Amino acid sequence: MLKRGSLFTFFWAILIFAVLFYLLLIFSIISYSDLEMLAGVLRDPEFRFAIKFTLWTSTLATALATIVALPCGFLLSRYRFKGRAFFDTLFDIPIILPPLVSGIALLIFFGPFWGDRLARLGINAVFTPLGVIIAQWFIATPFATKTFKHTFASLDRRMEKVARTLGFTPAMVFYKVTLPLARNGIIGGIIMAWARALGEFGATAMLAGITRMKTETLSVAVFLNMSIGDMKFALSTALVMLLIALFLLVVVKVFLSDEVRT
Amino acid sequence: MKETSLKVSNIHVKAGKFRLKDISFEMKKSDYLVILGPTGCGKTVLLETLVGLREVTAGHVHLNGKEITALPPEQRRFGFAYQDSLLYPYMNVRDNILFGAKAMKRDREGAVLKRLEGTTQKMNIAHLLERYPRSLSGGEKQRVSLARAILLNPPLLLLDEPLSALDPKMRQSMQELLRDLHTSEQIGILHVTHDFNEALQLGTKVLVMEEGRVLQQGKPMEIFNKPGTLSMAHFLLVENIQEGEIIKERGLSYFRKKGNSLLLGPLNNHSTNSVPDRRKAYLVARSGNIRLTLPNELVEGPAPNRWLAEIVQKNLYHTHVDVLCNGCGYWQVAISISDWQRMGLEIGAPVCLSLKKEDLHIVEERNFK
Repeated sequence: MLKRGSLFTFFWAILIFAVLFYLLLIFSIISYSDLEMLAGVLRDPEFRFAIKFTLWTSTLATALATIVALPCGFLLSRYRFKGRAFFDTLFDIPIILPPLVSGIALLIFFGPFWGDRLARLGINAVFTPLGVIIAQWFIATPFATKTFKHTFASLDRRMEKVARTLGFTPAMVFYKVTLPLARNGIIGGIIMAWARALGEFGATAMLAGITRMKTETLSVAVFLNMSIGDMKFALSTALVMLLIALFLLVVVKVFLSDEVRT
Repeated sequence: MKETSLKVSNIHVKAGKFRLKDISFEMKKSDYLVILGPTGCGKTVLLETLVGLREVTAGHVHLNGKEITALPPEQRRFGFAYQDSLLYPYMNVRDNILFGAKAMKRDREGAVLKRLEGTTQKMNIAHLLERYPRSLSGGEKQRVSLARAILLNPPLLLLDEPLSALDPKMRQSMQELLRDLHTSEQIGILHVTHDFNEALQLGTKVLVMEEGRVLQQGKPMEIFNKPGTLSMAHFLLVENIQEGEIIKERGLSYFRKKGNSLLLGPLNNHSTNSVPDRRKAYLVARSGNIRLTLPNELVEGPAPNRWLAEIVQKNLYHTHVDVLCNGCGYWQVAISISDWQRMGLEIGAPVCLSLKKEDLHIVEERNFK
């Protein structure tokens, strides 16, 4: 067995190795890009479509994910009911499953399983922008739910109890006490869900397809252009996505730093 | 005007695996009722039940004769504060105090704002109104929490260990504030604590709980001197707990200490009159109630229960001397410093111990847990 001193030296070595590896990865993308190339790609209509399309679909998917995740996270954190563990596990599935497998499940559901019935209601998800939103929503919702659940569970419930004795009904307590107390955790969860939706590829590709200028998100754009050998476009898009990811991570760290410890 | 009164009748409450069992008591506006008990005995559950945060499975709660058992907390409107103040961090002190008024859309009412001014001045927190909780000290937070609880003149104020998170100096000033609130606001206070000193200093009535049950209720000194059970005597840190048995002689009851012939009595404890002969029992005596004299010293009054002993240990405090004596068992006695000096006592000195008949407090085995 390693002595205590040498054990921690070993730990430090692993940490430094991991950090160096991540930094080198980031540096490798940056080193193969240049500003001129980036500026050229930023003016490219395909890139402009992809970034606009990604931003609005991921924002809409995140909004829908928040609407679903907020009550789910609250109920799972606050109530002990039969089947709670099962419900909770269901939310883990999209996190654990490879996105491609999630995409196949979505494709079957919105295709042969219920596709016709939904089509009669005007819902056509397969190979459409709606499919992109559904895939992003499906992947992002569990992340938001888990974060909200931990946030609600970490709150001191006596704060809510005091509000009840001061004259607030349970619904008023939720709006006036629970939500404000959970604010940072909720913002962190939303950003996390948005980041996940922004980078979604596997499930989107299966359900919405990878059609240029139609269902082309940034991730899809990277894949499409790599597959045809347009390294400039792929690298510049990857760099933009990296910058967005770094920015979001910093924001998440700030908001989640003191409220959610998972 | 009829005085506010709370009547709790045989309530049972289920809180997870814990149960409150058959709790009954009454209190009036003029009462400062202290609920005393060790950690985990159900004090907070009882308080949360009274404010309406927990449902009772049986029994009734009445306020001024009106049944409130099923009323939700927002309709009971008791003043309530937990030990760690629990101020809302996203509001300043003013908004925290006015939070209850906001629920009733009365936070801009002239009368409420005037009350805010008066209350915050009385509690010495008027200068903190624009500050946020994170910048307040523990004592300031607790004052703000109290101001929030009493702003709208609740019928009763319920406090869950309000002093336990404070340092001794702050605790003293909070005690004074609570005493002042009780009289100046004319509000009945129900104060939960595990500290018997708080009960002695603040309570006009004390209710002792253990494992979800009420063990005893009465005046603080009564409970201090005469705890109802052995476990209560231990909880209240009674210095002398002597095992023995109850002896019946010519219709009178006596206590005979185990292991020697010391016979004390006759007992005037009504509960011992009906118990059979040779029932196991415990003598419970505060160190201040045992009298220590020199062996040849005359004791005033009728022939008391006296026995000889020898000093084996002493602990000098700034207020008194704790003396441990050995004679018919070990006895801890508290005497004044002047008595210690006057009698010229020292370790090994022979002394005479005595207990007045009214201080012979016996708890029987059947009262024990």
